[in-house]
Amino acid sequence: MTTAILQPDLSDERLAYRGPIQRLLIKPEIGGLIGAVTIWVFFWAVTVPFGTAGGTANFMDVAASLGIMAVAVALLMIGGEFDLSAGAMTGATGILVILLVKDIGGAGLNLWIALPLSFVMALGIGWFNGTLVERTSLPSFIVTLGAFFVLKGAKLGFAKLFLGTIQVGRIDEGGGHAFWVNIFGAVWTRNDHIFNSRDTVYVGLLVAGGVAMLLGLLELTYRRRQTFSPRGLPVLVLGAAVGVVGLVALHTTDGTGANWLFSILVAFGVLIGALGVGQWRYETNPSRGSLQLPTNVSRLIAIGTFFVALGVVFGLVLDSASSDDIFLLLTEQGLRAILFVFLSICGLVTLVIAAALARKVSDLSGSAVLAYAAVVVVVLAFIVQSEAGAPKFRTEFFAALLLAALVMATWAVVGVFFDKRRASHESADRLGRLLAIAGAAAVFVGVVVRLLFTKDTELPTLVGLTQFRISILWFLGVAAVATWVLGSTRFGGWTFAVGGNKAASRQVGVPAARTKTQLFMIVSAAAWLVGMLLAFRLNTVQASTGDGKEFEYIIAAVVGGNLLTGGYGSAFGAAVGAIIMAMSFQGIPFAGWNSDWRFLFLGVILLLAVLANNYIRKTAEEAS
Amino acid sequence: MSEPALLELNNISKFYGNILALTGVTTSVNAGEVTCILGDNGAGKSTLIKIIAGAHQQSEGTLLVEGEEVMFDSPRDALARGIATVYQDLAVVPLMSVWRNFFLGSEPTKRFGPFKWIDKARASSIAKEEMAKMGIDIRDTEQAVGTLSGGERQSVAISRAAYFGAKVLLLDEPTSALGVKQSGVVLKYILEARNRGLGVIFITHNPNHAWPVGDRFLILNLGRSMGNFAKEEITRDELILMMAGGAELEELTRELETASPGDENLAHLAEEFAEELEQLEERTEHDD
Repeated sequence: MTTAILQPDLSDERLAYRGPIQRLLIKPEIGGLIGAVTIWVFFWAVTVPFGTAGGTANFMDVAASLGIMAVAVALLMIGGEFDLSAGAMTGATGILVILLVKDIGGAGLNLWIALPLSFVMALGIGWFNGTLVERTSLPSFIVTLGAFFVLKGAKLGFAKLFLGTIQVGRIDEGGGHAFWVNIFGAVWTRNDHIFNSRDTVYVGLLVAGGVAMLLGLLELTYRRRQTFSPRGLPVLVLGAAVGVVGLVALHTTDGTGANWLFSILVAFGVLIGALGVGQWRYETNPSRGSLQLPTNVSRLIAIGTFFVALGVVFGLVLDSASSDDIFLLLTEQGLRAILFVFLSICGLVTLVIAAALARKVSDLSGSAVLAYAAVVVVVLAFIVQSEAGAPKFRTEFFAALLLAALVMATWAVVGVFFDKRRASHESADRLGRLLAIAGAAAVFVGVVVRLLFTKDTELPTLVGLTQFRISILWFLGVAAVATWVLGSTRFGGWTFAVGGNKAASRQVGVPAARTKTQLFMIVSAAAWLVGMLLAFRLNTVQASTGDGKEFEYIIAAVVGGNLLTGGYGSAFGAAVGAIIMAMSFQGIPFAGWNSDWRFLFLGVILLLAVLANNYIRKTAEEAS
Repeated sequence: MSEPALLELNNISKFYGNILALTGVTTSVNAGEVTCILGDNGAGKSTLIKIIAGAHQQSEGTLLVEGEEVMFDSPRDALARGIATVYQDLAVVPLMSVWRNFFLGSEPTKRFGPFKWIDKARASSIAKEEMAKMGIDIRDTEQAVGTLSGGERQSVAISRAAYFGAKVLLLDEPTSALGVKQSGVVLKYILEARNRGLGVIFITHNPNHAWPVGDRFLILNLGRSMGNFAKEEITRDELILMMAGGAELEELTRELETASPGDENLAHLAEEFAEELEQLEERTEHDD
């Protein structure tokens, strides 16, 4: 009798292996990342400053003060709590420091004393919030709402009491200002950095990074041979040679005919090279299956094609040169760009989903649909090239679309010939990850080079003054440190634990109350930092500064994939969320639209991001 | 007995004000044995768990760990004496990965200067190894515990407790929320833990789960011990009958009969109860 119970069948409880793309898709930050790229491309298309160093410095500066707070608030949210006083605290710390250093109406302290003192006081506010929440078990929503009103009132009251005005200035009256303004208020002007071979370096890094990422993805996706087959090596060398020759020729020659010829050469090089790598390292596909399209797939293909076609129709019908206002909101050319970009992206995403569904039926079907999507991208590229007004569409955008099509086509071809991995493989996983990360890093460096350097020929067209503020550096630093803390330290693990299941984590010895209190203190420390950045930049802080911003932090965190209920999320995601919001805030006026609409835009982004995150995570989890 | 029991309860009672939650409960757990505590809702199981786990203190009676009398002030105290509790619903954090759950609160760290971080590779491989000892092959310790089946989730908590030096495992209703097959999986882990020399206290209201794995049975009803039996002193059917509370079943039957002169459904229910009761009693007598 007992033996039957003692030998349960465990086989169906095993989890299926997740491919690298699926594993990427269930990460919390992926929805935000895709959204950020989409919004950037969108504003790059409809505005002039996006894609220039000046425009980047501009939106990154807005992202910085939002993002430092969003990252801290995200940590707190992962820990299962909210802080509604976070916004008011940024203004309060700024006012506090100014009151501490002012001679007349203030305490007249040196900044070397005032800064640490105000920092400790800020931590005190966080400690108070945290302790009150922990001791009373009241919802942090209520406790920090109280703290918000206290701070808001204190800012107004003390400003009026000591200075008789709600404009609290000036921080440069404090001793040591000359030093501290470098830490919190430095500005880096970059208009005169001429580097004429910039594009060679940029394109080189992009190509190298792209190739590394593609190789990494192959290594993560396909099943390694027991022993590598040398027969693939000559094919790989041939493909690489053809690709390099094509690239060099593209770079050095001019003229449409030559461009055509060498583009096709590059494409062939990549395809042959990828097949060579596959032949060399991976097992051949034992079951390609037959070509068949179930109704749900063909329906998605029809819908996707329809969307793309509709986008194209709008692109052709609406006037690219007309700047007549529509609904007082945007110009006809703006509407054209929106409809074209939005509808084509929707259509392409639908086609890619169709390809993923078709791959479940057979590899051949999946590849066929993906190849079809690649053809659609090529067609789109040529429509863009012939119809677009601005040169950036006819060159850069055109090239980017063709590259995307090339990657899709390569993926489709490789998917037919080689066998996918169904179990993890330690050395292949390590190599694949390394290549993918190195590739992404190279692409990132390439983009930075492109943004930070100017060519002689571009000088006359530069828009405005390019000023990178030090707040951007602080933002990147805070996001990096928070990501490390969350992912790699005990405190980070405990943060997830107390947000995910407080009782269970307490049960195994996690100091839950202390962890939560420390999270509140992290938020107030971040608020202090933002307060200092504000005070040193503006010199004068308004009493109302920061009020109402707390919801923007929460929105940024949620857009970045943080769960409102706690226990799940990422600091990196919150940083991306802040960048998304900053891009929308700055992009709307850049595009010449009425900025009264920005909150409407914000609300739509929030809803879309949450829906997309939800959908992506669900489909990725189900797909395994 | 040559060696004192791992854990011994002598006449444990607990009063909350004037309410008698538990009176005169006696049982013991030996190394490599499973003691089952059976009882229906309100039988006093939770009170007993809390006393053993150190969350509450007994009002009367003595608790002996390896022959030494103790009084636990907190769950930490109990844990320090090697008594680890796995609560049914508080066992794990579902959104966190297997290895993070395994080491939660006691993560191994590396350090460089003032910086200290979790030794992920070590934590991950130990978790994998320890789970393998329980007979579970976790392919990817990065996967979230929430994606595991209910039985495997309990097993993460059980192997964690075993790894961190527990001598006595206190399992609170580990099978109550699970299906038949999953319960089987958990019962297997209980035996696995027993075979590794741990004393296991298995709390349940299901005698069918308790019988195959138990070496000793303590039956509670309304805060009183209905008996503390070694396996050879009791039969499966007696156990079931005691659990069902034979006397109460009889009373319930009578109540249903009198309360339902007009109601056919209730009358039918009463009949079924009476029949069930008869069969149980018959089988018990037969066994004797």
